[in-house]
Amino acid sequence: MSALAHVAGGAGGGTDQAPTERGRSWLPYLLLLPGFLWLAIFFVFPMIQLFTVSLQSQFPGYPGYYYRDVNFHNYLDAFTQFAPHFGRSLLFAGLATFFAFCLAYPLAYAMAFKAGRWRNVMMILVIAPFFTSFILRTIAWRQILADEGPVASTLNALHLLPGGRITETWVAVVAGLTYNFLPFMVLPIYASLERADARVIEAGGDLYANGFTTFRTVTLPMSMPGVLAGTLLTFIPAAGDYVNADLLGSDRSTKMVGNVIESQFFKVPGGFPVAASLSFTLMALILVLVFVYIRRFGTEELL
Amino acid sequence: MALFGGKTAGFREAKGDLRIVEVTKSFGDFTAVDDLSLVVPRGSFFALLGPSGCGKTTTLRMVAGLEEATHGRIFIGDTDLTGSRPYERPVNTVFQSYALFPHLTVRDNVAFGPKRRGLANATTLADEALDLVQLPHLADRKPAQLSGGQQQRVAVARALVNRPEVLLLDEPLGALDLKLRRQMQVELKRIQTEVGLTFIHVTHDQEEAMTMADTVAVMNHGRIEQMGAPEALYDLPLTAFVANFVGQSNLGMGRIIDSDGDHYVADVQGTRVSIPKARCQVSSGDVLFGVRPEKVKIAVSRAEAGRNDIPATVVDVSFTGVATQYLVRVPSGATWSVYEQNLDIDPIDLHPGDEAWLSWKPGHAFGVPVDESAIKVATDAPTTTPTVAVGPVTASSQGPMAGADPR
Ligand SMILES: Nc1ncnc2c1ncn2[C@@H]1O[C@H](COP(=O)(O)OP(=O)(O)OP(=O)(O)O)[C@@H](O)[C@H]1O
Ligand SMILES: [Mg+2]
Repeated sequence: MSALAHVAGGAGGGTDQAPTERGRSWLPYLLLLPGFLWLAIFFVFPMIQLFTVSLQSQFPGYPGYYYRDVNFHNYLDAFTQFAPHFGRSLLFAGLATFFAFCLAYPLAYAMAFKAGRWRNVMMILVIAPFFTSFILRTIAWRQILADEGPVASTLNALHLLPGGRITETWVAVVAGLTYNFLPFMVLPIYASLERADARVIEAGGDLYANGFTTFRTVTLPMSMPGVLAGTLLTFIPAAGDYVNADLLGSDRSTKMVGNVIESQFFKVPGGFPVAASLSFTLMALILVLVFVYIRRFGTEELL
Repeated sequence: MALFGGKTAGFREAKGDLRIVEVTKSFGDFTAVDDLSLVVPRGSFFALLGPSGCGKTTTLRMVAGLEEATHGRIFIGDTDLTGSRPYERPVNTVFQSYALFPHLTVRDNVAFGPKRRGLANATTLADEALDLVQLPHLADRKPAQLSGGQQQRVAVARALVNRPEVLLLDEPLGALDLKLRRQMQVELKRIQTEVGLTFIHVTHDQEEAMTMADTVAVMNHGRIEQMGAPEALYDLPLTAFVANFVGQSNLGMGRIIDSDGDHYVADVQGTRVSIPKARCQVSSGDVLFGVRPEKVKIAVSRAEAGRNDIPATVVDVSFTGVATQYLVRVPSGATWSVYEQNLDIDPIDLHPGDEAWLSWKPGHAFGVPVDESAIKVATDAPTTTPTVAVGPVTASSQGPMAGADPR
């Protein structure tokens, strides 16, 4: 970012070019306008709306009826009552991000450096799942992991499954999350590895670093922007997800915040303010975590 | 960590001459390096010259271990390095594309090698190397914040800091301005002699190759056409390609028709010329006759006996201060060039369109075999032949070599 600012400053500073630069200065704003309007209408307005809902109070004795208020108790209630769900959301999303990273990095690495003419085939295989519905694929997972399904019965036969089943456990939820967000991890890492100059990686070997050291000191740092983008693209939606917990988890022990928000909104009479304040709390939590994360691991390109 | 061994595990402390033995490199059915054999004595400065795509980088990459030779072996001293990994070889490379680590500062880039070798004073060494390439003030920047020439100097520092047994420099000074390039040449040469490293230097700048190297090899189509001391290479080219590629040559197609003592007599399109037998690579039949431009004298009248001569028409005269360059058309239709040093107060009174006589001592002539490239040179249009220099030639001790474009 600093390099970018530097360049921009340099271009604007050219004395003889200054007038034309100034003449075109409206262009970036014009380009920003459509996206800006879109976000204003479909993001900012609903957010304001949601925020006012999150502060509403119920009419005593009339479940489902609210009045405009500034009731921060909603937040306190939401957080204390559903703290375990928040914890589970962050934990499951964190685990899914970790496993997705472990699966995605070798895959992206192989695609970028070893796949040769199979590279495009692998790329299609990574993207292909998007051609069908996310819900249907998750339901398919329920069948794969079902008690009589191949995975559970094999593990049971080998006495490797303590609880006797996979579905309705956190394992199934994390597996589903990992699976569903894997491409969001693979693609950015692949992009950053593919962009890396092969000569630079060779230079590591030329300068006495063996294969592993070259990977640790050259390849991995060079792909950090991709890793960072991939982890964010996985963690953020996974933390808010409720489909995997709904379809693969159990009613009690694996519910995530997303499930609570969903049921408060659609199933619990008078749950609107709680659902809204849960949404805001989740958003704030993720923002803080992401900020700390980027601060800690971020590269200049992202900050 | 123990799994991967110590920091310098596998490093091979080889010392001695670099020997490339019958090395071939093929990419599919294309042969980039063709049965190349070469000995570079320890501590010598070896320059590799050649047109783009002739296999210079591929050769260096095989020495560095970045490319596996299809056939052949590579030794340093008695140690056979064939098949060993790049990090095991006491060899460092200055990459043609610099290949700096984008995520590391300039100092960390340079300290990378010493750190991998486990040297405690890696940072100090890096700072010294940066002093050497005159970049100490940029040590904390990232490569993306440097100019091309600065990046190139960092690349040189990053390889040089390791003081490897063999340093491979792939056009290491190409992006520098003339003054800086001269300074860096002096620095490199100084380090090379002081530390006694073997340098393999790929360059497109013939003058650089000639002034710096102990031995120059001219490569073409994956083979070494000729190799030798710079003076020898310039004085006596053995092939038509070298005659054209190193400096300029005035060439003419001819036939050997007679032998006269230690000279052959050749008929070059109607003119009888002599070529010393020791300087002629063919003993009968077709020959490509050549003589360097500065060895040719131009005069209004015919020269004294003992010289070969040929009539010519002046096409162009360009005064360059130290010397004057004449472009003339010889009876065969080819264009020759002639350098006359401006020694006399009165300039030679010749202008475009004038008739003149060219003459040279037979001892300066050379003869090389006629091959495809020779035919092309001796018969093609003046604007594309290397015997025509366009524009003034930079004056220098190398005379006609300066300003010559090897491509
Ligand atoms: N990986 C590769 N696959 C196929 N052909 C290659 C490969 N690397 C190099 N070549 C070919 O081998 C030949 C020699 O390439 P090389 O890079 O050694 O040339 P060079 O002499 O260094 O040229 P330049 O002066 O332009 O750098 C070229 O014709 C090139 O196209
Ligand atoms: Mg090259």
